[in-house]
Amino acid sequence: MELPEYTLKGLQLLADPSHFSNKTFHILVEAAFESLINPQTDGAVFGHAELGNLDLTLLKQCHVAIATCVLEAGKQNADISTISTLLEDCRFGGERIDIFCAAYQKYKDKVETLLGSLGRFPSHIIDASWRLEYHIRNNHLHKINQAAYLLTLNVENGESRPAQDVTFSCTMEQLQDLLGKLKDAAKSMEKASQI
Amino acid sequence: MVQISRHLEEEITVCLMNHFCGSVIGEFCRIAVEFLKKGLNPKIFEGAARKLSVSTETVQHGIEGLMYLLTESSKMMISEVDFQDSVLVLGFPEDLNKLLLQLYLDNRKEIRSILNELAPDFPHYHNLEWRLDVQLASRALRQQIKPLLTLKLHLEQNGRRNANVLQTDPATLLHLIRKLEQALGEMKTNHCRRIVRNIK
Repeated sequence: MELPEYTLKGLQLLADPSHFSNKTFHILVEAAFESLINPQTDGAVFGHAELGNLDLTLLKQCHVAIATCVLEAGKQNADISTISTLLEDCRFGGERIDIFCAAYQKYKDKVETLLGSLGRFPSHIIDASWRLEYHIRNNHLHKINQAAYLLTLNVENGESRPAQDVTFSCTMEQLQDLLGKLKDAAKSMEKASQI
Repeated sequence: MVQISRHLEEEITVCLMNHFCGSVIGEFCRIAVEFLKKGLNPKIFEGAARKLSVSTETVQHGIEGLMYLLTESSKMMISEVDFQDSVLVLGFPEDLNKLLLQLYLDNRKEIRSILNELAPDFPHYHNLEWRLDVQLASRALRQQIKPLLTLKLHLEQNGRRNANVLQTDPATLLHLIRKLEQALGEMKTNHCRRIVRNIK
């Protein structure tokens, strides 16, 4: 697992007991994970009571180093031994390696979910709403007497673009066609999952 | 009954009865239907007027009167009896009335579908294509196994088609199927059946 120079320097500083006690180290590691998982708490690390009297530049560099390391490990699906080796190379003591790896294990799933949600994808359907109408007449035609559905597919786009729901109308036959095709897709999905 | 305005009544009667014999009126009827299906062509008026030695306006009013009669009758989907009653007012000979009735019955379905094109159009469903994918990796995360369904929804509006590329996951797909089955089932409920039966 390759990390940039700045990150490695940050980790080395983090390993140094003269800069951080074990307790401060633990708090900083937890705070770094929290800020990744919860974007709202980003920056809270700098307001933390225990960390208040530390040098701001140092704090920032170490925070960035932890975050970079965690994201890279998550991206590559790195195992504990790979991370341990990396931390040893950065002169981490055994106890700090354990603290770090325990925190990584604890937050691993959430980090993976976060990384998995990044990136571009076609509008993702999350829900559908429908409306059934009976058309009686309009100003060009009387006695239409036909049922029609109005469907809205609610979509989400990730944070990059605003969601644009897709709305369309269809007759009963068309809805049956649409439903038939979705059921085919579901069947093939079930078959594929059994392979 | 189709309420033919007095003015129009005079136009049609004057133009058709006094000037022309049955075969000419028959030809006018054919032209009127043609215009409804394909659009107006003013040159026809001039050509016919010259051949029959009458003014262009006379021909125009006659044909437009017939077009109005057919359009209004089709719009309201009036019955045979009502149509005959409406036409009786014009005082045409019996064989001409029969001709007009036949014209109405033969063409009303097509005229109604043409009128329907004037109504506001929402994008409506045309087709759905789907594809089962498994996402293996992305720039942010390697080593994934994420099943996805990619959909291409074809919609049509005002004669133009466009396609929306969408995706969904297996859980949402099942949820969508359940929701749409509910929607479809609604038509079969007593409530809807009663409405459909009683609104005629």
